[in-house]
Amino acid sequence: MKILVLNSGSSSVKFQIIETDLERMNAHQDLTLAVGQVEKIGLSDSRLVLEVPDRKTYQDYREILEHRTAIEWVLRILTDPEHGIIESVGEIGAVGHRVVHGGEAFASSVLITPDVVEQIEACSVLAPLHNPPNLRGYYAAHAAMPDVPHVAVFDTAFHQTMPAHAFLYGIPFQLYKKHHIRKYGFHGTSHRFVTFRGCQILGWEREERRLISIHLGNGCSLAAVDHARSIDTSMGFTPLEGLVMGTRSGDMDPAIIPWVMAMEELTLHQVNTMLNKHSGLYGVSGISSDMREILEARANGNERADVAFRMFCYRLKKYIAAYAAAMSGVDAVFFTGGIGERSPEVRENAIIGLEFMGIELDRERNQAVTDGEGEISTGNSKVRVLVVPTNEEKTIARDVVRVLNGIMPVFTPPETIT
Amino acid sequence: MSWELHRVVIVGGGMMGRSLATRVAQEGINVYLKEVSTEAVEVAKAELDRSLEHEIARFGLTNAEKKAILSRITWVTHYDCATDCDLALEAVQEDFGLKRQILRELDRRMPAENPIVITTSTLSITELATQNTHPERFVGMHFLYPVTTTRVVEVVRGQLTTDEVYERAIDFARLLGKVPIKVFEMPGFVTTRTILPLINEAIHIVMEGVAEAAEVDLALKMGFNFNSGPLEWADRTGLDRVLNWMQHLYHESGEPRHRPCPLLKRLVRAGLLGAKTGRGFFEYDENRHRTDRLPDDKPRMA
Repeated sequence: MKILVLNSGSSSVKFQIIETDLERMNAHQDLTLAVGQVEKIGLSDSRLVLEVPDRKTYQDYREILEHRTAIEWVLRILTDPEHGIIESVGEIGAVGHRVVHGGEAFASSVLITPDVVEQIEACSVLAPLHNPPNLRGYYAAHAAMPDVPHVAVFDTAFHQTMPAHAFLYGIPFQLYKKHHIRKYGFHGTSHRFVTFRGCQILGWEREERRLISIHLGNGCSLAAVDHARSIDTSMGFTPLEGLVMGTRSGDMDPAIIPWVMAMEELTLHQVNTMLNKHSGLYGVSGISSDMREILEARANGNERADVAFRMFCYRLKKYIAAYAAAMSGVDAVFFTGGIGERSPEVRENAIIGLEFMGIELDRERNQAVTDGEGEISTGNSKVRVLVVPTNEEKTIARDVVRVLNGIMPVFTPPETIT
Repeated sequence: MSWELHRVVIVGGGMMGRSLATRVAQEGINVYLKEVSTEAVEVAKAELDRSLEHEIARFGLTNAEKKAILSRITWVTHYDCATDCDLALEAVQEDFGLKRQILRELDRRMPAENPIVITTSTLSITELATQNTHPERFVGMHFLYPVTTTRVVEVVRGQLTTDEVYERAIDFARLLGKVPIKVFEMPGFVTTRTILPLINEAIHIVMEGVAEAAEVDLALKMGFNFNSGPLEWADRTGLDRVLNWMQHLYHESGEPRHRPCPLLKRLVRAGLLGAKTGRGFFEYDENRHRTDRLPDDKPRMA
């Protein structure tokens, strides 16, 4: 079945057409037929890019003012006799939508019904920048393809298996009840795929293993996946918590925030932007949010780039050991995301010194893996360390198949605290 | 929003015009910003750059966002752009003759159903509207300083403003991220009409020697949880502007309580206009930071 996967942001729509079904999934033979996006929605020079394997990249510009026309444009190009890959929209059997926040309402990917739409809208208060454009993408796609099933896949769902002692914060309990303040975690679709694929490569059953999945991209997070269940993850109520990221602070003493607001007389907006866009690698180094540029500056002797790099790796290393402790041990560590897949320096500095807990890095192997799957631990390492490129779109397409076949797992919380 | 807003023309590249152009551009809408001459454009451009850099230094904006904002602002020195704009807004000083002339230029060029917004705190929307071919499409908006951070805007209905135009102005206010306060035209509306007598009273207190200006401000700031005291607020707004508004209000209402305090007139005559001249009730450096704060005038840390 051909599945359209949509990731709708406020001014962009990313899409893929993926051919998959139960057989292909099991054989890891899902086919990505086309990858593309519409950028700068709302402007007069919106751009559509379409990449089809073995073809020249197709590009076009026009004025696209909202998501509905953007998706109509995508469907028109996909069915174009010259540039397209399908004959008619009717060939698309289903649509999978990425939805950032499912709150406590969604512990699984689900078929979108009017009730589901209402609940996603209710979660918008928790992700005001993400859920509304995700929904706009759904409305637009549903208008163009009203007769096929639409499935929502949430970034948060996989982490709903966390126990209360991992997801609650040490603040007055009524804030959890009143404002739903708790750890939700993000990148769930990625952590799910990477732990699944990593075990597939190793020939392991995920249900029998203790795994740490590390996603290092624009946002960075890791998850402790114990017997196929996420029991802890580093992002929290928002994607700001946890690791040092490109422009986000990650963990810090919460007392700093009111203190800086008073001393610098910052508004709520300014302090939020400070933590989300002016911090992390960029804020510390003063150079860049891009790890490649940090590494370059560090190689040239830049002191602040060096300390930013060290902070990034040090915090990650602490979390790896902490999550091993959380699971009373660890069998494998998987790196993914742009930095995780392509930066041997970061991987090395994050796990060096962890030999005491059975992690032994093979430096040569590590240097060699910069594109694609590969093992980077020594043959003697008790803990296997792998690079596993993530594929969130493929997971969304597979979830569509799972939901339609009634085999979608539910990431049921182990307990509810009232 | 039930109508489409793709292009906006703002007349006047002063603080207000620049701030509003920035907000509109941040929403991904293209803005024409009109100034009188290429020289004036250059000055305003430099000022805009300075304020965006300041906001970056305050963490409120990133370099990439600044670039995106500037790419959506087109500076012009003529009104021809108004023909394809969905909304026009004039943001020039509080001068009836000048505003009337600008509104006529806009009214002549814009499609008849598109709203024209007048920014004013004291002038009559109706009086400014009636001179034109389509007086029903004029609506007022009163932005408070600082325009970028103040959360409310008064949306002013004139005698002839249609419901549709008024609703569009409300939508526009929400697009700018402001809470609209619905008011009918009357000098000072709600905010200016209440703050001016407060400022005037504070000046009287200083003139009578009841308390020092700094202590008057501190009492009100800390006593009522204001961001700044009324005298510093007046300094930052510009004492000439405050006096101008006060005179309008007095002129319209004829109420003795609206008569400007003589001390305010004295400062304006002496050219002590507030933050922009370095001195008004208080003293300011070139970055408009106050240099004479009382030791007690500091943020509370606990």
